[in-house]
Amino acid sequence: MSNNKMIEVQNLQKKFKNNTVLKDITEHVDKGQVICVIGPSGAGKSTFLRCLNCLEQPTSGKVFFEGNDLTKITDKQLNQLREKMGMVFQGFNLFPNMNVIENIKLAPMKVKNIPEKEAEETGMKLLEKVGLAEKAKQYPDQLSGGQKQRVAIARALAMNPEVMLFDEPTSALDPEMVDEVLTVMHDLADSGMTMVVVTHEMGFAHEVADQIWFMADGYIQETGKPDEFFAHPTSDRAKEFLKKILK
Amino acid sequence: MKCFKHWLMLIIIAFPILCAPVSAFAADKSSSSSSATDASQVAENASLQRIKQKGTLVVGTSADYPPYEFTTKENGKTKYVGFEVSLMRQFAKDIGVKLVIKNMDFDSLLVALETGKIDCIAGAMNITNERKKSVDFSNVYYTGDSYFLINKSDKDKLVNAKSFNGKTVGAQNGTLQSTMISKDMPQANGKGLAKLSSLVIGLQSHKYDGVLVDAATAKAYASNNSNLYAFDSKLPATAGGIALAFPKGDTSLVNAANQTIKKVNDENLINKKWLPESAQYMKSYKKQNTVLSYWRYFAKGLEYTLIITIVSVFFGFILGTLFALMRLSKNKLLHSIAVCYIEFLRGTPMMVQIMFVYFGIGAIIQSLPALLAGIIAVSLNSGAYVAEIIRSGIQSIPLGQTEAARSLGMDKNKAFRYVIMPQALKNIWPALGNELITLLKDSSLVSVIGVTELMFQTQLVQSATYKGVLPLFITMMIYFILTFTLSRILLYFEGRMKHVQ
Repeated sequence: MSNNKMIEVQNLQKKFKNNTVLKDITEHVDKGQVICVIGPSGAGKSTFLRCLNCLEQPTSGKVFFEGNDLTKITDKQLNQLREKMGMVFQGFNLFPNMNVIENIKLAPMKVKNIPEKEAEETGMKLLEKVGLAEKAKQYPDQLSGGQKQRVAIARALAMNPEVMLFDEPTSALDPEMVDEVLTVMHDLADSGMTMVVVTHEMGFAHEVADQIWFMADGYIQETGKPDEFFAHPTSDRAKEFLKKILK
Repeated sequence: MKCFKHWLMLIIIAFPILCAPVSAFAADKSSSSSSATDASQVAENASLQRIKQKGTLVVGTSADYPPYEFTTKENGKTKYVGFEVSLMRQFAKDIGVKLVIKNMDFDSLLVALETGKIDCIAGAMNITNERKKSVDFSNVYYTGDSYFLINKSDKDKLVNAKSFNGKTVGAQNGTLQSTMISKDMPQANGKGLAKLSSLVIGLQSHKYDGVLVDAATAKAYASNNSNLYAFDSKLPATAGGIALAFPKGDTSLVNAANQTIKKVNDENLINKKWLPESAQYMKSYKKQNTVLSYWRYFAKGLEYTLIITIVSVFFGFILGTLFALMRLSKNKLLHSIAVCYIEFLRGTPMMVQIMFVYFGIGAIIQSLPALLAGIIAVSLNSGAYVAEIIRSGIQSIPLGQTEAARSLGMDKNKAFRYVIMPQALKNIWPALGNELITLLKDSSLVSVIGVTELMFQTQLVQSATYKGVLPLFITMMIYFILTFTLSRILLYFEGRMKHVQ
């Protein structure tokens, strides 16, 4: 089982000045697993996710990716490992000065030195996968929120990552656009991609996740299979949370 | 930590301030050491020897002072003429070296001599006790009274020094005449300018009621301009006549000059030959002396203005990017250096910076040419402004852009180069364009150290044609055409960047 660990965190702690957001987290993600991280706002879910690829530097504790401790390695090694960890942001963060296909092929070309033609072909395939092939020459400003997020997913996939981190990917979307993004994510999970998803979409979490991690107050309060968790939460914080959102 | 940071900043700010006296001290030391070896014949010969080895005698002058020294054109090229120029030609010939003339403002001459930019001054310079403290004078070769130059219409009102009471009298900065006004004409309102040609323009436009200049010069202006009139000021001469000035302690060169001067005085060459020659030059070009016939001067000025601008924009941009990144750096030392650089360069006048680079740094690196000094100063200055523009541009890009780039495996450099900078550049384009236009115009300040850019050439044309306003107008139009073209080009690219979105 331990050979199967893709991401592992040990005693992870993160402080912002005097505010301790992550208190003490020890968990791991296996290859091929889909983890949904849920919990009340302010629980530290996004910070936790951003610690996994060291966009936030942990204050203490260890973060392993494929056996490498990200807190110990050089910047260069970290950059190389980040290539394998795709990330999708709440605010899309597409490059507004580039059109869709340019957004997608930039990193493969500049980081992996893939020839432009090849990068474009791969990019177009990914765009077809997320259903946006006809938008290749458009600029981010010309797209809807849902379309932007699908492009962002395609952009992350273009680096051929081994794990995808999603930081509340649907929170900034109008309700009618949430589904198109979740569908893409669902397909991705079905294809066997390892995923860590911070989300408020309980339906999606229930349906897609292999495991639910419930976070509150800087700790992972409990973990479990979706059916068990949603039916019989064990911690008081989880019961309280579910009661509020399932009203 | 904060305390440490403040101290660091203070030290870095203080560094150039502390350096300046040190270099001045070093210059002092070298001059005093050379005067200490005065007694030694070997060292004295060395100074003349040095000129001979070099093969050139570099003479500083302010060539707007006919008939002493002024410019004329021969086959479209500037030629320095006047009886002091003739004297210097004779002197160079006598010691067997080539004459090189450096034209600059009169009040820069002494600094240039002290810092070794020039070997001697031939600038209608009167011997005074104050000047004797800092330079060695040769023997006197000419004694000129001071004359008032006035508008002919005032000829009846202004008849002697007393009639200027309550009126405005101009004189060239640093000249004997400017001292005379403050000493001997306390009731008059004395005003100084660096260029005699500007003073004469001021006189013609009635900014001044009179200009006090050397007799020969006053007469030259009056005879070339029917609206001007010159008369003897009859002020007591406090000076010992006109002589060449040399660095202190350099007596072998002075002695050589005195030999030439003795020969010239014996043969009365100045009055017999060179003054009439100068008058001829002034007359001969008076006929075909239209401003437009000096178009080559403007062309050359334009060329140098463009060189300074283009080179300085290039280096200013590189420096600006560098310092913007340093300022945004998490490294406290780099950050502090950048802050100090930016604050210091923005907080001191560009004119001062140009002169400091030329005379200050030039005192350490003797061979620093004025053009290079000017480009260095303008680039450094522009770098500070560009740094702030670029910093604001970088900070205007949301953090999410960097995060997205980093999450895709780009290192800091690639994220900056491919993601942040292109977007920042688009945001700061108008501000950068503004800076570019400012730089083009500010390059005119480099004229103070004698770089032959547009403004300097304009002043040459002014003094050569005795016309003040027209050359200025032409130059103004040239600058405007340049900046207008530039702003159109910038607008075109701005439009293209927008179109992309």
